Amino acid sequence: MKKRVLNILLAFFAISSFYSCNNLLDVKPRTAVDAATALTNEVGLRAALRGAYDRLQSTDLYGSSQIAFAEALSDNGRGRLANGASTNSGRLSAQLQSIIGAHMVGWSQYYLLINQLNLILEATPKVTDLSPAVRNSIEAQALFLRALAYHDLVKTYAYDPGVEVAANDRGGVPLVLTGVLDAAQVTFPARAPVQEVYDQIYKDLDEATAKLANAETIPAPAFANAAAVNALYSRVALYRRDYTTALAKGNAALLAGAPPIVASTSYTASWRQQVHPESIFELPFTTPENIGVNVSLQSYFTSTVAGQPNTVTGGFGDLVINDIYGNQLFTAFNTNPPGFSGLVDQRSTLIAPGAVFRGNSVLRELTKFYGKNGQINLDNIPLIRTPEVILNIAEAQYYLGDEAGANTNLKRILDARYTLGGSAVSLTFNYTGLALLNEILRQRRLELAFEGHRFYDLKRNGENIPRPGGLPVLQYTDIRILAPIPQGDLDANPNLVQNAGY
Amino acid sequence: MRKTLLLGFTLLLLITSQVFAQTEVTISGKVSDRKGNPIPGASVYVKGNTSIGIATDADGNYSLKVPAGSTLVVTALDYITQEIVVGNRTFISTTLEDDKIEDIIVTGYRTETKREITGAITQIKGDVIQNLPMQSFDRAIQGRMAGVLVQGNSGIPGAPITVRIRGTGSLLAGNDPLFIVDGVQLNNRNDGFSTGANPLAFLNPNDIESIEVLQDAAAASIYGSQAANGVILITTKRGKAGKAKINFNYYRGFVEPIAQLPILSSQQYRVVRMEALANQAAASGGAPLNVLGTYMSEIRFNGTIDQLDLQPSFNWQNENFQYGNIDNYEASVSGGADRLDYYVSGSFNRQDGNTRNVDFQRGTFKANIGYQATNRFRLETNLNLSTFVQNAPFTQAVGNFLGDGNFSSPLILPMNPIYLSDGSFNGVPPNNIIGLLNQNVIANYAFNKANDVTSQAVANITGSYEIAKGLTFRSFFGIDFRTNNGRQYRDPRTQDAFNRQGLLQETSERNVNWLTTQTLNYTKTFSQKHTINALFGAEFRQEVYQGINLGVDFFPTPDFTYADAGANPLFTGGFWTSFKRAGTFANVKYDFDRKYILSATMRYDGSSRFGVNNRWGVFPSISGAWLISEENFLKGNNLLSELKLRASWGQTGNDQIGNFVARGLFGAGGIAYAGQGGIRPTVLNNPDLSWEINETSNLALDFGLFKNRIQGSVDAFIRTTKDLLLNRPLPITSGFGAITQNVGEVQNRGIGFNLRTINVDSKDGFRWTTDFNITFIRNEVTRLFDDLKVLPGNTGVRVGHPIGTIFTTEYIGVNPASGRPMFRDRNGNIIYAPIFANDARVVGDGFAEWYGGFTNTFSYKGFELAGFFQYEFGRDAFNSLGSFMFENGGRPFNSDLRIFEDRWQVPGQMTYVPRPFNGNTEPGGAANVGGSRTLGDASYIRLKQLTLAYTFQPNALERIKMTNVRVYVQAINLLTFTKWQGFDPEFVGGNNNVVPQSRQYTVGIQFGF
Repeated sequence: MKKRVLNILLAFFAISSFYSCNNLLDVKPRTAVDAATALTNEVGLRAALRGAYDRLQSTDLYGSSQIAFAEALSDNGRGRLANGASTNSGRLSAQLQSIIGAHMVGWSQYYLLINQLNLILEATPKVTDLSPAVRNSIEAQALFLRALAYHDLVKTYAYDPGVEVAANDRGGVPLVLTGVLDAAQVTFPARAPVQEVYDQIYKDLDEATAKLANAETIPAPAFANAAAVNALYSRVALYRRDYTTALAKGNAALLAGAPPIVASTSYTASWRQQVHPESIFELPFTTPENIGVNVSLQSYFTSTVAGQPNTVTGGFGDLVINDIYGNQLFTAFNTNPPGFSGLVDQRSTLIAPGAVFRGNSVLRELTKFYGKNGQINLDNIPLIRTPEVILNIAEAQYYLGDEAGANTNLKRILDARYTLGGSAVSLTFNYTGLALLNEILRQRRLELAFEGHRFYDLKRNGENIPRPGGLPVLQYTDIRILAPIPQGDLDANPNLVQNAGY
Repeated sequence: MRKTLLLGFTLLLLITSQVFAQTEVTISGKVSDRKGNPIPGASVYVKGNTSIGIATDADGNYSLKVPAGSTLVVTALDYITQEIVVGNRTFISTTLEDDKIEDIIVTGYRTETKREITGAITQIKGDVIQNLPMQSFDRAIQGRMAGVLVQGNSGIPGAPITVRIRGTGSLLAGNDPLFIVDGVQLNNRNDGFSTGANPLAFLNPNDIESIEVLQDAAAASIYGSQAANGVILITTKRGKAGKAKINFNYYRGFVEPIAQLPILSSQQYRVVRMEALANQAAASGGAPLNVLGTYMSEIRFNGTIDQLDLQPSFNWQNENFQYGNIDNYEASVSGGADRLDYYVSGSFNRQDGNTRNVDFQRGTFKANIGYQATNRFRLETNLNLSTFVQNAPFTQAVGNFLGDGNFSSPLILPMNPIYLSDGSFNGVPPNNIIGLLNQNVIANYAFNKANDVTSQAVANITGSYEIAKGLTFRSFFGIDFRTNNGRQYRDPRTQDAFNRQGLLQETSERNVNWLTTQTLNYTKTFSQKHTINALFGAEFRQEVYQGINLGVDFFPTPDFTYADAGANPLFTGGFWTSFKRAGTFANVKYDFDRKYILSATMRYDGSSRFGVNNRWGVFPSISGAWLISEENFLKGNNLLSELKLRASWGQTGNDQIGNFVARGLFGAGGIAYAGQGGIRPTVLNNPDLSWEINETSNLALDFGLFKNRIQGSVDAFIRTTKDLLLNRPLPITSGFGAITQNVGEVQNRGIGFNLRTINVDSKDGFRWTTDFNITFIRNEVTRLFDDLKVLPGNTGVRVGHPIGTIFTTEYIGVNPASGRPMFRDRNGNIIYAPIFANDARVVGDGFAEWYGGFTNTFSYKGFELAGFFQYEFGRDAFNSLGSFMFENGGRPFNSDLRIFEDRWQVPGQMTYVPRPFNGNTEPGGAANVGGSRTLGDASYIRLKQLTLAYTFQPNALERIKMTNVRVYVQAINLLTFTKWQGFDPEFVGGNNNVVPQSRQYTVGIQFGF
């Protein structure tokens, strides 16, 4: 009897001591993988890279705000109400009125993206069984995305080189180049100088270019290939006023397989195709990724439904073409380049009256995003198109003193956008001096209207920005030119300095 | 032993078959007490012939030769004498009930007598909550126990209930207690998709024998890292030895809405809306406004002003709220014979809500079976099967609350007819009704379909084996299995789904939660006075939760409501999650001379949810009791018949956080690019994350006066939550926004008071008893991280104030000269336009400060009248529906009549209600329904239950061969006293579109054979 009791007790203690080991409590999640093992093979790295591209689709970034907010902050758009300063849904009104604090909102998403890219860039060298072509492809794309993220950050939260307002200048943005997976890896970085950020972007793009010399074929425009890397490089250099690089990289982009600019007679159709034929880099959107009626670009910019009369209501039509204040976009569409008359800007064929029910029928909406993927509010979103590169080159040539070259490249744009009596044209002109620069910049505004460029182009040139609703012109020296850094980040990071005035 | 028995049995067979006339049998068996301890020295003899008898041995065993057909009498000192008909049995073991009726209390992993309890444990018996038309027992215990706050989240039958034991200790982790039914630790997560589906509704409350609440750490620390918020133990009914008892129970009744809000007629609305328009036009100083013209076009009216006077007013609330039915059927059979005891029951319950579409239907089946396999080995199994179906108010979970009748029905402009003259609905798409709230909410109810189906099995099997005298090994295996299927179909004929031609969202989920517990229990009394009880155990629990979901739109016609008919699949989803817990525990209790009791508990516990560095922890407690009334100087004192002092200290843990929040992870949910899936980091590796610690000290006094005519207890406690889990912001430049850390501290201090008095107990049978309880509690955030005084992102969490502090700008009334709303700035000055960041202040407390209940029961010769009041005081809440109801024509929808009548109209008028103003915001002012204006006092006291019952006297029933018959009428929520200006003060969260509580009336009959 005693022995039996003893045996049972012993067995009992054996069971309970087995309980005390940590393995017993290990539960592996099944809808997620351990961070330590996620990026240790090719499929994991490729999936992580897609996860990085996916981040750009966020509504805080190019899914919506990075484009719509930049337009609302510029003089391209107006709202329906209160003399153009308020919108149907109320969204974008604060940006239109330049209310303090209403600005771009990409900070968080870009830094989340940067951490993803840092992790990929750290993990790739450790995966030993990758072929060089695959390794180079993954690393080059990650570097491209990191360069894009840092450039979008620095052009939003800091002054562009050459137009600093010294009194308000707080430097660039924090440069974080190492990945964080563990609480112990968290750092509290200060803002790096603007030039340092640009140096890093150059470095990333140089490395990406080098790696792409020996890489697998990358399926553009959804994924960034050599044309995309060089096109971004030319844009970044233009912002840096490094015109030699802007020119060289722009030309490199055109040689590296950027698609040709479409002819004027095909222009309207180019904005009705799912994939824009001029896209060097473009975010594809599929049915489950439909952003919906509140903040999709279609809903922001239009209130009708493609193929339906304007008695059928689609989106909110919050931001329509500025035909009411300052330097009107609508007038620009109807103004011929200097020395010409009777030309029709094919880009104005995208302008349509809004929906009756929204009260937008007397307004002009730009239908670049019009459910071209076959569903309302579902559009691929081009981030870099060939005409931008051509205009980068033309602007760089102008500043480098090559007016002939600038005219040649401007002609490529004009011939591809204007018609006369319904036919294509081959225009002859020779603009010089400021007239040349102004026409390059005017064409840039028309060409890239409602694609998120106008605010940044005004800003990099140190221009004041007219405001609707009788509001005073926003002076370039105003603190509202720079976006505020989110308060939460300032609270959490004592080394971070807010922009002046916020 | 077995051999002897077998031999005896064979011999017996021989004897009975061969010698017909000789009718003597040998009976053997064992006599034990309720706890399974043997009773030595008990007398066993034949009724009417005391000469045939024997005393049990030291192990409680006996063997006796008796004439066939005898009746055995078993008797022992301090126990109730029992008679047993032998029949043709040869083995008869029996359990004797204590003569001194000591209440048995279920505690962690065992039972104890009330006398032995050293911690803070409250108990209610199942009969107290018998036959209440409430779907889950947590609802039924509201107001019955000190220290336990129960709040209905809504009036939906079977809706989730918020239970807080001794306050709210946690901000980030859960605050729910651990629920345990017959040893099975339940998952009480609300998995309802379309409606609140309370998982505790699986159990028919009438199957409950008793509910014990372990309130302090001393009582609960045996449950370790899950016990921080207290433990609620539910024990279901078991069969008792004796012949089969068959019981039937039936009640039916109806449900009634408690209140409608007083609203304006079409003409009153016209007055206030035109005032609002005129006031705004005058204030803005523009061109004079044609107010009447504006008003007429706003309500789409093309007539004369005389015709406006004749506009009818339609009552949408009448259509929204409804009377409903209650039906409940139950049957049970219970009993015990030989080595077997059983309780088997089945039930069907159906209850409508007080608004359209809302109901609850449940079927349950229960079987509790015990089998004494040998003298030492006992087997028990409990099985609960249950399915409940809830039709859902459409917008409770998702959907636009503007389309919900519980929100919109008092606000819809009263000139809108509900039906057209042909009986069809007015204003359904492509049309709409007049006003800002332009959906026909009654049509929404008629067309949309949403429901939840929950099926649950809670079962266990237990084997207990007596290894040696006083030493018992118990092996327990339990499972809590649940599936939930939710559907929401938005009909193409409603505004939400008109453009997409219908939308279906559907989910199917499964939760498997199992555990096993192995325990050893040892009891020994030395030299009469020293009793030692030791409990040692180990436990393992795992839970797996998974499911799939889908969304489809574009249905061909409204007749098609299932996914295969939708033309456009929107999304599909799937998930899987799990956790494990393991622990060992020990308790040692020492009882000296039934006067001094000391108890110590230790649990070593681990949870997979925490960081690898901190998965395991130790949860100790110590407690003691002094039975002062057992001392010689008090013994036999009639004035002070019972006096007991209890004191305890202990620690428990809270692991109610996400399953994988401590683990560095890459996730894939919702991440896709160019048609292919992607991954990215989702959780920061956080190896130091650990549980919150709840440290509770308890000091209490139990007392009985005048031969226990007055009995009660007072418990004072301090409950400190240390290592409070909080999300500490990280710079987003790190790739993560926040990290969960063990920082911060919250304290709950309080006193709970229970009292039971026998006021009248007259000789003619009239008896009046009162049960009363009250709890006072004070909650305070004592520390956050980094010396912060306010939690970033939640201004309601402030050091020195309770969790749930209401912090906003203070509305102080109306300027009598202008009718403008006034607020207070940070310096206490009166201003029109407060700025939240500068001027907000603490204006209220969202948690009840004192609460409880009291019951008066009158009985006389089978009649019983019981009235139960339940109350909750000191809770402030925003009347979010009120912020619309108070607009007074500020926008085109209806308003509250009381606000209309009190509105400012002429200079000099003293009132609390500002003048009507279109858009609600005067130039240079703040919204007149903003700040603390709509903050209300949600305190209430209500007559929760009133029951009149008649139980037929046994002698009257004997003739018709029945053992009991009881008939009763009952009302729930008959009276409510409150200052609250919404439908009902009992809700959790916002009251925008909550289904209000209802009033219920039932009549019932119970009878048994």
